[in-house]
Amino acid sequence: MDAPRQRLLYLQARTPSVMSSIIGLTLIEPVAGFAPEIHAESAPDWPYATVHDAVVDGWQIVQFPHLQAPFDDRELDVIGYEFILQKMEVIADE
Amino acid sequence: MSEYLLSDAEVARFLVTGYHLVEPELPAGLNESIAAQLDALDHNPGDAITEAVPELWQVLNHPTVKGALVSLLGPDYEVQSHRHWHCKQPNSPHMNWHQDGLNNRDVLLNRFLGLYYPTDVTPDMGPTIIVPGTQFRNAPTDRMATYTNIRGQVPLVVKAGTVAFTHYDLWHGTAANRSPHKRHMIKFLFRRTQDNTAPTWNHDPEAANKPADWNERDQAEDVTNILNFTNPLGVSQSDHYKERAIRRQNWNYLMGLSA
Repeated sequence: MDAPRQRLLYLQARTPSVMSSIIGLTLIEPVAGFAPEIHAESAPDWPYATVHDAVVDGWQIVQFPHLQAPFDDRELDVIGYEFILQKMEVIADE
Repeated sequence: MSEYLLSDAEVARFLVTGYHLVEPELPAGLNESIAAQLDALDHNPGDAITEAVPELWQVLNHPTVKGALVSLLGPDYEVQSHRHWHCKQPNSPHMNWHQDGLNNRDVLLNRFLGLYYPTDVTPDMGPTIIVPGTQFRNAPTDRMATYTNIRGQVPLVVKAGTVAFTHYDLWHGTAANRSPHKRHMIKFLFRRTQDNTAPTWNHDPEAANKPADWNERDQAEDVTNILNFTNPLGVSQSDHYKERAIRRQNWNYLMGLSA
């Protein structure tokens, strides 16, 4: 039997709360040759509206947003707060 | 020239989103001629692209293009010597998000890019994609590597002849080109040479000083409400307040007031 592989989901959420809505989404499939891709569309059709939606669907959070960086209430840096999630699944290669 | 200058609302939207598109009415056949010359180039001439294709100056000198530049950079704006022909080849992959240059953001409006597309750009031709409102973010490109699609990103699917003015620090990338066509874009760089002492666009003092309207919010068409309420990516309240402060600083700078 094949061993489970790690599927990864990067979610950039509006706030550090898991209930927060998602601004960015990147899914990484554990398949040789897979590459995420930016599409020519403004409103991507995503399976989840919030981080919590993904958790309900079985994704496990493996990294929460880092909130201990030096704090600056004027500077803007990256967009949103990044959660990294995983699902361990047996993947059938084509 | 005044008929080609931007309105208060257009200037405010540029400050908020970091981009503005113009579609100059170029002479018949100009876009086609430029595209044919680019198709035939066998090497990239770098900054000398305007010597290889001198008709590009007709685009830069069109009153619609100049009107936008005067509005945003003042009448003494400089067309910088650096320019570049970007040719997105058929069957080339997407390009990740990045900001040009080092991540030392310029929070005042002193330079930006003009991206000229000589052909129609369809979604399958690998359009440039921009992320409105990211121009004030001090984010190293490496930190963008885990982003792919961002809600609110804008693919520049445009008509032939379009010039997209984009803030120098705006996050941008491209989609993959899965068409059989080369997708051309000529990038120009423009710079302010003089601080403003007064507005350089079609300014209407009364319309620009309307009070905040909590009913219309970002649907309003006036400066105050565009600067206060527009949130193109739906970022958090903290980020939105920071953006709002920088936008207002920019607006005051362009008005010739103390930034």
